[in-house]
Amino acid sequence: MPAKFDLNDSSVVVIIGSGAGGGTLANELAQKGVSSVVLEAGKRIEITDFQNDEDAMFGLFTWLDPRTTSGSWYVAKTSPDLPAWICKLVGGTTVHWGACALRFQEHEFKVRTRYGAIAGANLLDWPIDLKEMDPYYDRAELKMGVTGTHGIPRLPVSNHGKVLFAGAKKMGYTQFMTTNMAINSVPRDGRASCQQTGFCVQGCTFGAKWSTLYTEIPKAEATGKTEVRPESQVLHIEHDKSGKVTGVVYADRTGAMQRQKARVVAVAGNAIESPRLLLNSSSSMFPQGLANSSGQVGKNYMRHMTSTVFAIFDKPVHMYRGTAQSGIVMDEARLDTKRGFVGGYQMELLPQGLPSFAQNIVPNAWGRDRASIVDSYVNIAGVWLIGEDLPRDTNRITLHPSRKDQYGLPIPNVHSDDHPNDLAMQKHAFAQADALYKSIGAKRTVHHEAFPSTHNMGTCRMSEKPQDGVVNRWGQSHDVKNLFVSDGSQFASSGGENPTLTIVALAIRQAEHISGQMAKGAV
Amino acid sequence: MKLLNWTQRFSRRGFLSGSAATIAAVTATGGNVLAQEFTTPQPGSLKSEEVRTLVVFARDLFPHDRLDDSFYERAVKPLEAEAAKDGYTRQSLAFGIEWLNGTATRMAGAPYAEVTDEQKRVAVVTRLREDQSAPARFFDKIYSTTIVSLYNQPEVWPKFGYEGPSSNKGGYINRGFNDLDWL
Repeated sequence: MPAKFDLNDSSVVVIIGSGAGGGTLANELAQKGVSSVVLEAGKRIEITDFQNDEDAMFGLFTWLDPRTTSGSWYVAKTSPDLPAWICKLVGGTTVHWGACALRFQEHEFKVRTRYGAIAGANLLDWPIDLKEMDPYYDRAELKMGVTGTHGIPRLPVSNHGKVLFAGAKKMGYTQFMTTNMAINSVPRDGRASCQQTGFCVQGCTFGAKWSTLYTEIPKAEATGKTEVRPESQVLHIEHDKSGKVTGVVYADRTGAMQRQKARVVAVAGNAIESPRLLLNSSSSMFPQGLANSSGQVGKNYMRHMTSTVFAIFDKPVHMYRGTAQSGIVMDEARLDTKRGFVGGYQMELLPQGLPSFAQNIVPNAWGRDRASIVDSYVNIAGVWLIGEDLPRDTNRITLHPSRKDQYGLPIPNVHSDDHPNDLAMQKHAFAQADALYKSIGAKRTVHHEAFPSTHNMGTCRMSEKPQDGVVNRWGQSHDVKNLFVSDGSQFASSGGENPTLTIVALAIRQAEHISGQMAKGAV
Repeated sequence: MKLLNWTQRFSRRGFLSGSAATIAAVTATGGNVLAQEFTTPQPGSLKSEEVRTLVVFARDLFPHDRLDDSFYERAVKPLEAEAAKDGYTRQSLAFGIEWLNGTATRMAGAPYAEVTDEQKRVAVVTRLREDQSAPARFFDKIYSTTIVSLYNQPEVWPKFGYEGPSSNKGGYINRGFNDLDWL
């Protein structure tokens, strides 16, 4: 049974957000007997609300509250008021995620040491390493049922994957396979196996894809230790004279202000809203914003080098059939500075249904040339090139100086300028993907520089030294001991991998720390 | 070249509410005196020749020989519906159509929809995109609306070989997700 806590109950952990970080943290704490109130800004829907309809699900899932953009990045031109494509509902972005569940590589935790100092970048080693993370990656993979790990069979190869792999083979690549996916290849954990619907991003109607909406959250509720309050948007985190946080103020579904007291607060609102909330929680004691004595809150925003190549063949591919993102080439993910950049990138399948494809290909173009691409829809294959982008002081989330949201709070601005390393990687990736598809007879390739960011990281980063970041090795604020950050904001580097598995692994690890600290009375 | 907003392209809802609000806000900034001097434009049905112009224009933006006019007629329905409800939309559409017809008459000797040479209509649209005094919002409006309402028609999908919703048919697990045999 879901718990019900009093607003004045100051013994609970308040978790802000219910996605990969918040939803996982709630369940991990609940399994250890720790009570929590999960405040989720979005609505609660169920699997039965999912439809195979790209436009309708975009409207139902997406965080569409106002945001602004600045900087040289492509998204600021093509999508100035939607910098990120992330979700606002119970389950957060795990409702629409593609479910690629990859571990970071060893060197990606130690970028400052391995890459050296790079001008215009703000590189920092994580205070933890892969060896320390491995057991938590194991637990995350088992929790999520990641294919290709722990004896869980991989998903079968789709048409779209066959095309990618044939090209990879011609290129001399050797590391290609159906991806490690948090999608059941066989029935598992009370959920069905993948039926190859192709609508992973619109919400998995079979529940084969792991999402906190129907895994972690109901499991947490079943313990009687967790209360989830949907349509509850936290506006402010409060603290006492000693500088410890004491609770949060949130707007409930009616718009009324509520104050939930807390012993511990964990922020997991994704890498735009989490720093925004800390900045909006400034006070006379913390004039730069909560947990921000370093001035690092909001800085080092990372979003991956993220570009797409669509290839047109003269024979059918039907890219929309089957598990959307299950197909990967990993050969370019290595660290090899001979290519002219540090870091690496993955090549992952990226199909789109006809409506999305036709709406998004070649933004703003019109006429015969554009239409000829759409005419070839059935013969098109697509690959997403996602790689490590570098943290920069100036790529950051700030509070807008004048624009306010529906609650009267400053909206976030997302500033990003591509680092030369990001652009060098992008150029390489475009050339490799072009060559891959042309090696098997593609007639034409079409480049897409970037969709609104689905991977958002780094804005409250982990650091060994308090002056370099916002949180310590446990995601615990350097400044405020009972305040935690539990999402991708913690990342000190972006890696060349999709971030969710690492967010989940960190949340499992963080839950151990929080419950231990609570048992000791340290928080 | 002016760039459109991704949200607006993707979500028709967002576009419709946003555009009406923006026009209203621009009017409001004129202050009370101005607001009183201008009469609010009346909503109403578009004339059939106006609809025809929009249909031809939508086809020129997204020209697919495999689609007959009925698909483009359905694609402009949301514009007609909005004009019938909102006077500002009605007015801005009429203004844009007038611009198209005036420019087409100067450049090709006939109103836009009556110019039979596609290349000449394309030249008019190019002018609409490049001329600083042209009604850019008109282009944005038609583009943002019809790129959604054209390609979101389930009847359009089979014309491009797209099979649409699959969950109700059990996905593609037994319906060809791995039937590719030409490699």
